[in-house]
Amino acid sequence: MSIRLSRRHMIESIGGGLGAVGLAGLWSDVFGAEPGAANLAHYAGPKLPAKAKHVIMLYLNGGPSQLDMFDPKPALFKYAGQRPNAVDLRTERTTGGLMPSPFEFKRYGRGGIEVSELLPQLASVIDEITVIRSMYTFNPTHTPGRAILHTGSVLATRPSIGSWVTYGLGTENQNLPSFVALGSAPPGGPQTRAGFLPAEFQGVGFGVADPDPERIIPNLRNKLIDPASQRIDMDALLALNQAQEKSFGHDQFLEGRIKSMETAYRMQFEALDLFDIRKEPQNIRDEYGPTAFGTGCLLARRLVEAGVRYVNVEYPGGQAWDDHSNLNNNLRKRCPDMDQAAAALIRDLKRRGKLDETIVVWGGEFGRTPVSESGSGRDHNPYGYTMFVAGGGFKGGMAYGATDEFGFKAEQNRVSVHDLHATLLGQLGMDHTKLTYRYAGRDFRLTDVHGEIVRDILA
Amino acid sequence: MRHWLPGLVIAASIASPLHAQTPDATFFETKIRPVLATNCYGCHNSAMAAPKGNLVLDTREGLRSKLESGKPDESRLLKVLSFTDPVVQMPPKGKLADSILADFRQWIAAGAIDPRGAAPATAVASSASQYKGLSLDEGRKWWAFQPVATKPAPNVAAAHGPRNNKVDSFILAKLADRKLAPSPKADKRTLVTRAYADLVGYKPTFGEVQAFLADQKLDAYARLVDRLMASPQYGERWGRRWMDVVRYAEDNPTSEATNPPYPFAWRYRDWIVEAINADMPYDRFVKLQLAADLMPNTKRSDMRALGYLGAAPVYHHDLRLSGDVIGGFMTDDWDERIDAVSRGLLGVSISCARCHDHKFDPFSQKDYTALMGVFASTTRAERPMFAVDSKTEQSYMLLQRKLFDLSYSANLLVNETSTFTNPSEKSVKWKSVIDVLKAQANAALAKYPQLVATLELYWTPRARGGAAPPPPPAPVRLAAGAKPAPAAPPAAGRGGRGNASSTDPYMNAVFEAARDVDVSDLTYTFITYKPGETRDMPVFRAGNYASPGAIVPRGFPAVLAKGDTNFRQGSGRRELADRIFTDSKGLAARVIVNRVWAWHFGQGLVTTPSDFGTQGEKASHPELLDDLAARFIANRWSLKWLNREIMLSATYQQASRPRADGMVADQANALLWRQNPQRLDSEAYRDTLVRAAGILDLQVGGAPGDLDDSTYFRRAIYGRVSRARSSQMQTLFDFPAPTQTAPNRDVTTSTLQQVFLMNSEFVQNLSAAAVKTATAKVTSQPQQVVALYRQVLARNPTAAETEAALTYLQKGTLVRFAQILLSTNEEIFLP
Repeated sequence: MSIRLSRRHMIESIGGGLGAVGLAGLWSDVFGAEPGAANLAHYAGPKLPAKAKHVIMLYLNGGPSQLDMFDPKPALFKYAGQRPNAVDLRTERTTGGLMPSPFEFKRYGRGGIEVSELLPQLASVIDEITVIRSMYTFNPTHTPGRAILHTGSVLATRPSIGSWVTYGLGTENQNLPSFVALGSAPPGGPQTRAGFLPAEFQGVGFGVADPDPERIIPNLRNKLIDPASQRIDMDALLALNQAQEKSFGHDQFLEGRIKSMETAYRMQFEALDLFDIRKEPQNIRDEYGPTAFGTGCLLARRLVEAGVRYVNVEYPGGQAWDDHSNLNNNLRKRCPDMDQAAAALIRDLKRRGKLDETIVVWGGEFGRTPVSESGSGRDHNPYGYTMFVAGGGFKGGMAYGATDEFGFKAEQNRVSVHDLHATLLGQLGMDHTKLTYRYAGRDFRLTDVHGEIVRDILA
Repeated sequence: MRHWLPGLVIAASIASPLHAQTPDATFFETKIRPVLATNCYGCHNSAMAAPKGNLVLDTREGLRSKLESGKPDESRLLKVLSFTDPVVQMPPKGKLADSILADFRQWIAAGAIDPRGAAPATAVASSASQYKGLSLDEGRKWWAFQPVATKPAPNVAAAHGPRNNKVDSFILAKLADRKLAPSPKADKRTLVTRAYADLVGYKPTFGEVQAFLADQKLDAYARLVDRLMASPQYGERWGRRWMDVVRYAEDNPTSEATNPPYPFAWRYRDWIVEAINADMPYDRFVKLQLAADLMPNTKRSDMRALGYLGAAPVYHHDLRLSGDVIGGFMTDDWDERIDAVSRGLLGVSISCARCHDHKFDPFSQKDYTALMGVFASTTRAERPMFAVDSKTEQSYMLLQRKLFDLSYSANLLVNETSTFTNPSEKSVKWKSVIDVLKAQANAALAKYPQLVATLELYWTPRARGGAAPPPPPAPVRLAAGAKPAPAAPPAAGRGGRGNASSTDPYMNAVFEAARDVDVSDLTYTFITYKPGETRDMPVFRAGNYASPGAIVPRGFPAVLAKGDTNFRQGSGRRELADRIFTDSKGLAARVIVNRVWAWHFGQGLVTTPSDFGTQGEKASHPELLDDLAARFIANRWSLKWLNREIMLSATYQQASRPRADGMVADQANALLWRQNPQRLDSEAYRDTLVRAAGILDLQVGGAPGDLDDSTYFRRAIYGRVSRARSSQMQTLFDFPAPTQTAPNRDVTTSTLQQVFLMNSEFVQNLSAAAVKTATAKVTSQPQQVVALYRQVLARNPTAAETEAALTYLQKGTLVRFAQILLSTNEEIFLP
């Protein structure tokens, strides 16, 4: 289980190693090296057949209602307003009787999967989607729930899955951060946390409320001088640094920083290009929609194509999906742009031949209760909810698992967050029990002592 | 400040994870024994009167009886484990993973190497079954837990290298063994730069370098070291280093309603700086942080030390959740305390024993639980900076906690009525409790109206808004004797969270009160605080709060304890603090001495500074570490003595240039054939840049400011430290996450660091300031170049450099040239 960082890896670390994109020429120019295939940086377990190289997580912060999107429950009509014993599970707040969904469900695709009228676009790509209706998690409150979804634990020391993936697989593009999180404001906390993993595996958060790359990346452009003048400055700096290294003697840090400076200079222009979704054809931009989530999804695709391993796209607006009241109207307002962008991402990846190697994961930190809160909302529900995966070697066109009669608790083929994590790592070619990091005296895993791969949903 | 070949460090640590065992033994230790320990020892151990099936697996002999070594296909053990034995299938809870069975097969096929003793691990101790790795008796013999004693300096031929003090003898002896010479003494410019960066946390100015170069006396360097250690900036540098260990921060990972930011955490930071400057003996320094309130005659200003526990990270306790969930969160908080104390102060990882006995080190779940009771009997509270009689203070702290919880709950009623079945009923009940507490406050705190004032917001109804009560605004002035602190700077662009610091005369501290959950109301969980009472915790099976087992008395870890482990006075915080420096004196001294060594050299003698257990690295120079630790104790735990002893050694003063023979023989420089070249850390780099611009504000202490404010020019230690969001410079330059005790600093190089230097307003501001400072009195361009070199790089340019600069200035500007100099490798590098 030898762990050895490549020399290049040491010099040009990923965490913030933001740089030129998809341009082999620049690469080899700067590093005198070939663009690499995925190297296994720190994963030393048995190599599972990797189906995927990238993950795009569409995170619906707040806890979207499975009962109104993917998990129809006719029994809610039958027992509307009643409160059978089966639904007497404690959640965060006081709840009342069962509340039926007003949204119509129809069957779509080869698997005849039921999807609600709120999601016509996702319904149109349902053959690529594996709906997991039997998710469950371990905490009914947002912050801990969010931490569990992204890190497998409520503890503030645990790394996010994106950090684990990057740690295990290494980077495909030395000039880019391998783990990126996009939101209306730069996401942080468990969504990007490296925890006890080395700082270089920290996710880099970017705010995409405004699609202008200069607004997305701080300090990307020098506001005082033009590129030609800056080139003159960089040449002067390079000369000073080279002279200094010559006088001190060969040193990896000094050499690495000299190269990093050069990369940074060129990266400014490349990143301006890569992060600028306005350079996409208008029909593609229209397909994703002119919203921050659309920007996030489209930028995620561009980043993945440039070699980023893990992109977390947070639906804008804080805990947007936290519909304690007025749920029906809220969903009518919020679903269209989410539906459009998420479906566009799947379609676009498929068209470009990237869906096979990219896993799209969709969901929140938990779902919502079948019983009503305040008469018009639903409370948090960690006992049973829906997430979906698409691409990346998942079957697609299938629904897996089931909740109880009312959609409260996962019953058949239950899938915990740990199981989901184990399965995602497995599709990336890593045995989740073997991806470990020694910290505070023991080997830690993303899945801790839990996690079973959900084999039935693998292609 | 870790050595910057992380790859090599990691590779080295992997190569010998288990104290220099043979590869086969390593296989057993890593693949086989942990499985046996987890799955089998429980029913099959030699300490049991009647092990199941009369089989013991914690001894070599017991295991061998079932093996058929070398013939896996005939091995009964493997059949049983594979569930192919017709009679017995083990373990009872289900078949082991195929990969584990494959490990067993491979191990048996290879001859079943079992490095354990022939006899039972411990023949006597009935407690042996508590330990899955080293037994208690084996553990008591572990090198790091032994007392320290001075060691004779090894004999080395005088020709092998200079010996300034005893440190050098140990280093030279090992170098001589490997036929490596030490590096020559660094030049004076390097020495003065190193001394400044190391002792005060920034590089010297041109004038300071010149003064040292001009000092031709033999003791010039020793006097420089002494002078720097006597300056207030020394405490800022070394205090900040300690703050990594105590995961200092001013807020919480989420900072929600029940875990808001700590408005007075900065007073703890200031206490650290003052204590380090005063060279407070390290044992007292640590004891105050754990138990200042329980030590006799503690000055009130020293109570600030309790920020160690009083501003520790806590999770949000959403009281709408069940008692089990809230109780579980409490144990998460206490787990953090155990981790901070055990890894930070003792260099061992006791929190590994949260769910089961430690698999390698001699710490049982019982030891863990005994420590948990200490923290379960300790409660966070704000204490006044001014003198208050003890009884009033106790009442104040208790009222604070109760009112905080009630006010939080009442705000939920206002803001989120849907939370409750019967809001009006709860509203009436809680309001009446608040009224009772208000009356109590007015009575108990009558002598101190300013204390009552801080509680007023809890009974004054608030407008709609967040559920969190703001920190006490206490409109009172400072008590006599307290130093006025500068006002908190206005919020800058980093959002409101973590920006709640206050200069009111209070501190974030703790007091003696047991905490538990009150589950009498099935729809709402309250927290109980019982001042003066203690709470022994049960062992939680598999770490699960809902599955409590036997109660464990509060106490000290058995393997470190001399005699009885139990604590008897209150929470036991004071006994814990004391026993760290009596029972585990040697360990505590080794750990801090190694940390200080690592801060001076970029790498410790033990390269895992927070893990001196079996999973950590062994010391590269164990005799040196022991000798220094023993002499450190003899010198009344003086950190300044230790700094001086290390910095005056010839080892420290070596040049750091690469040498071909050294790079071949010992690239990681474990033998110290040179000083390690280092990169300035986040704070030292920021301070050096600002000082190079001539505008570093050396004001000491006070409320934190915003490091992302590109006009904030105080020292970096005074920047806000947030557990939720770090400033840009902290993030870019490897500031450690303050959610956990940090053993060392990473050193990464990234392009985002470089665009920060190239394009940020902060660096542009510094460049302009540097030009203004440097060229105020010179007009000719060559003079300006010289002045700028002196200002930024603290030296004169060479003739060639001046010429190059003048050529550059035909196209560029002085300000841009200043930015180039600030951005050089020379500036960030410490040779």
